[in-house]
Amino acid sequence: METIVKNRIKQVKKGDQNAFAEIVDLYKDKIYQLCYRMLGNSHEAEDIAQEAFIRAYVNIHSYDMDKKFSTWLYRIATNLTIDRIRKKKPDYYLDAEVAGTEGLTMYSQVAADVALPEDQVATMELQQMIQKEILKLPDKYRSVIVLKYIDELSLIEISEILNMPIGTVKTRIHRGREALRKQLRHL
Amino acid sequence: MKCSEEMIERIHQYLDHDIKQADERILREHLQSCTECAQHLHELEKSIALVQSTSHIEAPSNFTQAVMNSLPEEKKRVGVGR
Repeated sequence: METIVKNRIKQVKKGDQNAFAEIVDLYKDKIYQLCYRMLGNSHEAEDIAQEAFIRAYVNIHSYDMDKKFSTWLYRIATNLTIDRIRKKKPDYYLDAEVAGTEGLTMYSQVAADVALPEDQVATMELQQMIQKEILKLPDKYRSVIVLKYIDELSLIEISEILNMPIGTVKTRIHRGREALRKQLRHL
Repeated sequence: MKCSEEMIERIHQYLDHDIKQADERILREHLQSCTECAQHLHELEKSIALVQSTSHIEAPSNFTQAVMNSLPEEKKRVGVGR
């Protein structure tokens, strides 16, 4: 896949915008998911994920072709989500609560037409609960946990994306896991 | 009895597949006899499984088009030039 991606990037660098659409298609779900898990709100996630691709496009000439493209893209997206979290007003946790109930609202709309099987409802409620617990993690733990367990990246890739030593990544994953254990063990 | 930080550290190394063989042997033996550490590992594994169970969401259907529409104008025209 990296070879296909690199060929497309060469075309983008030459000014072929359609080639960039293919790149967006390839990575949109992963990047959107990263943003959603970091921010907990679908509007913000869409906004930041789009911004990540726009920045990648505008800065494509600074991408080093010898490195993995996805690492570079993840770094842009991760930095944007962390910036957004830090710029949030103190009422951020109120927002998070609202975000946590989104699925339930969606469900109540769906329920009017189609009754969902009971186990599906239970799954949605559980997922909302887990998402809320992920959002409670301090951002430095949240980013490593999301990259490792939701985007399933290796420790080396995470260390490149976050531009920090692998030892620091390990420590943060350990602490993030301990925090999650305390939050989720009673589920 | 509270188990050593060292043993908890081994549990995390084990979860990262980043544990020395000798340490893994020590950990396995310890888990046989220590319910507290076995429970600790179990809770960590459960948390990971719960987090992983949420990992399937997709970008909105118009996402790519929205990105393409937002790209800067001057770049759009580059392809036309020679």
